[in-house]
Amino acid sequence: MLEILIVLFGLSLLWASVTNMLGTIIKILVVQGLILFGITLLKTTQLNWLSFVTIALETLIFKAILIPWFINDTIKHNQIHREVEASVSNFFSLALMSLIFILSFALAGAAPAWSVKIFPLEFGIAFATILKGIFIIIANKKLITHLMGYLIMENGIFLLSLSAGSDLPYIVSLGVSLDIMLSVLIAVLFIKRIRSTFDDADSPETLRED
Amino acid sequence: MGGILLFAFPALAIVLCLVLSSRRKIDLLVLLHALIHSGLGTWAYIERGSLMGMDDLGLLIFLILSVLYAAIAFYRLGHKDNSTIKNYRIHSIFLMIFVMAMDGAALAKDLGLIWVFVEATTISSALLISYSNRKSSLEAAWKYLFICSVGIALAFAGILLLVIAQPQHATLLISKIDLSTISPFWLKISFVFILIGFGTKMGLAPLHFWLPDAHSEAPAPISALLSGALLNIALVPILRVDKLMHASGMGDLVQELYLLMGMLSVFIAAVFILRTKDYKRLLAYSSIENMGLIMIAFGCGGMAYYAGFLHILGHSLIKAAFFLTAGNALQIYKDKNYENIGGLLKINRGSGWLWLISSAMIIGLPPSPLFTSKFLIATTMLGKGYYLYFGLLMLLLAVISWGIFNVGLKICLGDSERKQSLNPWLYLAPAGLLFIAAVIGIFLPVMN
Repeated sequence: MLEILIVLFGLSLLWASVTNMLGTIIKILVVQGLILFGITLLKTTQLNWLSFVTIALETLIFKAILIPWFINDTIKHNQIHREVEASVSNFFSLALMSLIFILSFALAGAAPAWSVKIFPLEFGIAFATILKGIFIIIANKKLITHLMGYLIMENGIFLLSLSAGSDLPYIVSLGVSLDIMLSVLIAVLFIKRIRSTFDDADSPETLRED
Repeated sequence: MGGILLFAFPALAIVLCLVLSSRRKIDLLVLLHALIHSGLGTWAYIERGSLMGMDDLGLLIFLILSVLYAAIAFYRLGHKDNSTIKNYRIHSIFLMIFVMAMDGAALAKDLGLIWVFVEATTISSALLISYSNRKSSLEAAWKYLFICSVGIALAFAGILLLVIAQPQHATLLISKIDLSTISPFWLKISFVFILIGFGTKMGLAPLHFWLPDAHSEAPAPISALLSGALLNIALVPILRVDKLMHASGMGDLVQELYLLMGMLSVFIAAVFILRTKDYKRLLAYSSIENMGLIMIAFGCGGMAYYAGFLHILGHSLIKAAFFLTAGNALQIYKDKNYENIGGLLKINRGSGWLWLISSAMIIGLPPSPLFTSKFLIATTMLGKGYYLYFGLLMLLLAVISWGIFNVGLKICLGDSERKQSLNPWLYLAPAGLLFIAAVIGIFLPVMN
């Protein structure tokens, strides 16, 4: 079951590579949040009850409901154009995602067997998600898409922390607590305020050097 | 006891700050916090290991923070801004939280805790950067928060990989990590993530984009703390994991990565120092250059390793003084474009001289400690046969020195009928920092 969920998580990355619509990326974030919740349920035995409750709440309420709702709300209120406006084509994006998968699994496969605590599929998908998040940030122009790329990257890190957390449970809580604080800050303080200050919520300025 | 005072006092001061209704009282409260901080720093220096078992690296970073915080607390006594008392109160509260977070990062030995504190510095300082509430400062704060969050997330991935690297009894307490069983494969990947992640926060190229905006948009005392203290804080976790890499026989890889990132940072700084017209951005690019030099020093090893720590110390003091002086210039001209201003020596002699001395010391003229550190870096490079790196570095440093001095002369020289005096604290704080830097440059400190 765990393997199926992880494979589904990996498929959501391919889905993210072929879409141009912000709404679809929001759906992908919901799906990823639900899958992470499912993985948390399957890992109950490896976590103490406090970590379990925190993670379950974070994945279900925060990652799958609140953040996607907030982003959707921001898009509506700011009248942001609903297309992603990526600087690369879907074909290139999909080809790169495949390369990312190959690289991630090659890395997982290259690891000496005695040192690996997590199985290669889990590591490969988590690592690919982190790289995909970075790629979305780099390849897109909109501030809101940057935020979505960041959230996808965080989902990858979260998946990795769930694996590493079996050995050091507090690390999962560390990641969770700051994820929440940081995302709320980014979301509430900045997008809302920047919206009222900038003409639109695009952020070409954020890539400007001087 | 010291540890309780270090964190309990600012916590109480924050509560007290909420009820204070005068700027003067808030300033005095921040000053009291800074003085207690300095007192604890002095105590930790005299009685080594007394303050929460602080090691030498933590002590150096803590002492720098103490001196800088005291200087900016005095500077604030004379610094004017037009914000409301409510905004000023929030600003002062977040300043104390920011300092507490930096203290935590300097003192912590557990990599997970250091990460949490570094994250806390990002959140608290983002609010300090956006203080003026202008479009440009909000944009700078957004950019800072976003890029540093990406960096911090990557650093967290590196920390997770460090856990994976330990086949049994994983810990993030650096001294407890069992090097005999650690997997070099995962440690290597973990280090790359930690270097890129915390390197982003340090302003190292190629993820330095946030730094010029954040440092130029923040109020002068905050720019001084960001450049002089926060960049060092981001270096702490890198140096802590660096020890593991060296102990695991992967020191060569570490040094190559340091040299590469360092040279790239100095190159980026040289290009943009020549292009920018904003004198605060110029100082920010100079910070990127100096962070690059510090990485080059650690990348060279040997005597340059000492030079790296000396450079951290010297750069922090001089750059903080320079940013405070730039704050004086901004107060006088209300303009950050150096092409529109001039005659600072005529308008305000004190600030003019501070600018010239800061320029001379930041480019490494004696008695600046940066002279010795740069000299040691250069000789180590030659000694190790890094001729290409040496040639390139000297060329870039010459360009940067010319750029900084050229701007300094344009700002300070020229004629003006106008005279403007400033509050004495606005000269005394940067002058004190430059004096301490000169003393360090003459009587070079012994470091373990």
